[in-house]
Amino acid sequence: MPKAARRLSALCIALAALLVAASAGAHREEHRPVAVRPVMDYTPPPAGSYALHVIQRAPEGRVVGADGRLHSLSAYTRGRITLLSLIYTYCTEPTGCALAYETSVELRKRVLAEPRLHGRARFVSLSFDPLNDTHQAMQAYGGSYARDGKGLPWHFLTTRSMQDLKPILDGFDQEIEMELDERGRPTRTISHMLKLFLIDREGRVREIYSTAFLHPEAMLNDIRSLVMEEDAGRR
Amino acid sequence: MSNPQRIRRRTIAAALAAAFAGAAFADETCNSPYTARLIKGQEDYVHVWTLGVEGVGDGSDKLVTIDANPKSKGYGKVVHSHSVGGRGEAHHMGFTDDRKHLWAGGLDDSKIHIFDVGTDPAKPKFVKTIADLAKQTGFVGPHTFYAMPGRMLIQSLSNAKDHGGKTGMAIYNNKGAFVAKYDMPEGEVGVVKGDGYGYDIAINPRKNVMLTSSFAGWNNYMMDMGKMVKDGEAMKRFGATMAAWDLKAMKPKQIFSVPGSPLEIRWSLNPKDKWAITATALTSKLWLIKPDGKGGWQAKDVATIGDPSKIPLPVDISISADGKGLWVNTFMDGLTRYFDLSNPEAPKETYTKKTGKQVNMVSQSWDGKRVYITSSLLANWDKKGDDNEQFLRAFHWDGKELKPAFEVDFNKEKLGRAHHMKFSAKGGKKT
Repeated sequence: MPKAARRLSALCIALAALLVAASAGAHREEHRPVAVRPVMDYTPPPAGSYALHVIQRAPEGRVVGADGRLHSLSAYTRGRITLLSLIYTYCTEPTGCALAYETSVELRKRVLAEPRLHGRARFVSLSFDPLNDTHQAMQAYGGSYARDGKGLPWHFLTTRSMQDLKPILDGFDQEIEMELDERGRPTRTISHMLKLFLIDREGRVREIYSTAFLHPEAMLNDIRSLVMEEDAGRR
Repeated sequence: MSNPQRIRRRTIAAALAAAFAGAAFADETCNSPYTARLIKGQEDYVHVWTLGVEGVGDGSDKLVTIDANPKSKGYGKVVHSHSVGGRGEAHHMGFTDDRKHLWAGGLDDSKIHIFDVGTDPAKPKFVKTIADLAKQTGFVGPHTFYAMPGRMLIQSLSNAKDHGGKTGMAIYNNKGAFVAKYDMPEGEVGVVKGDGYGYDIAINPRKNVMLTSSFAGWNNYMMDMGKMVKDGEAMKRFGATMAAWDLKAMKPKQIFSVPGSPLEIRWSLNPKDKWAITATALTSKLWLIKPDGKGGWQAKDVATIGDPSKIPLPVDISISADGKGLWVNTFMDGLTRYFDLSNPEAPKETYTKKTGKQVNMVSQSWDGKRVYITSSLLANWDKKGDDNEQFLRAFHWDGKELKPAFEVDFNKEKLGRAHHMKFSAKGGKKT
């Protein structure tokens, strides 16, 4: 083997070892992959200065709550402004579920920093995988966020079966695929396009964020805009 | 976590970010750069939105699917065709954000046909036709289909009232329901007056900016080209502006004077770059759109394409994934030109090949190794007689020479006029 090729080979082996060590370390220490955040290089327009059109209605469906019981999805998508993400707990994609989680955590801090937004919004994380993501697994995934409902409740939900999940996925226009290995066997990776849905208190989807648009500052202005709209409607 | 571990993790995260950034961008003409499931390797199929020609085959507009995988038995052959019934001036297409559906528009009948290409890309399945664009918006001639999260942004070319160039954009959700409309800017925005015309859309989410360009209305694009060029009044009715919009607010912030009808717009796909490029059809120039250093944007004439006095008519462009190269097709002389964009302030034409008697669309694979070209511009603008070749030609590109890979003769196959292309690949198993 030529010297340059030997050097490249050694480098590849070292990098692979490093990746394995790092991923093992990540699992032990944080249990979550590191999210890769999209760049935001602009100042978003002020809240209330732009329109958030009704894109579609949030679908109805049956979900399993923290208590392990069945509830209607609309119990979690109406009556408050809702940020809903579809995820699964063992997702390792840095621009997927991990990004949804970290963005929600960051946005939560910002919402809680504004007393006028308290009690006006909620977050919902709904699993793609009714088989592995039991209601207990979802509560464990949510950790302290699942338990602390002050100011901004965050609900970690799952479904009872694929039969219950499918109409919800169809309603949100979310397609998922099980990635296959070289022999065509299902892996533990579910391929999906990350989307977060901002839903008004009437259950109407007013904004959809995919990876490139997960900018907490702009998302906060969207929530503020819907709150301003609600308040104007009351007057 | 110890510091060395933290640093190592960060390094790997950065490497992964760079890898994902690179992999996430594919170049397909008019493709929104943040759709899912972009093709990172060999495309399996090329879908060609094809104009029906009276007396040729069934005479109808159709979506033609061609096998583009060299390892396939059907390589280079038509494997599927779906006619939509009638001729509506088939023109452009665009994938939805999840790449499941392909929306294909007609510039004359303003119909938008939706195909499922995600389930089985070898056999696109017709889903539905949206026929209420004019009723909902007053706009006609749906041109660019640009995927946004959960919805499609559609740039029209004309309006139902006088079929002139004043027009706008519409948003439909992915299920095909109307959401909102936006007029193209008229009057002064900044120091330049908008002409109300539209053509293409290109979005940069990290800068929250959307660029739009301007072409002409139904009265022009449906007119015979020979007749139009002799009509002085018609020749005045072409767009001469671009606009920079606040994407979130969907409000125009700046208008740029870009004479000669700026058409396709492409942002550099290199995450480090902050510029976009376009070509003007009538003045045969490349224009660069870049920050003006004052928080806004500027448009700058940076290169000439061929001899503008001969009006070669640059009609389509395709930017490489690294933002270092640009293919430009000039319709009149049938040339496919490669511009070195290493310095976007001074693009240089470094390669030229005659690829047909008339050429319109050009699309390259994300790795830049394959280049596809089609022939039709508009039914009434295509050349006549023997010059009216209709084809899809595929080439291999090794950085020095375009070498023919395969060709489908759309006249011989009785398909019609070959127009816009999109790539697809066989996906994973659906749950």
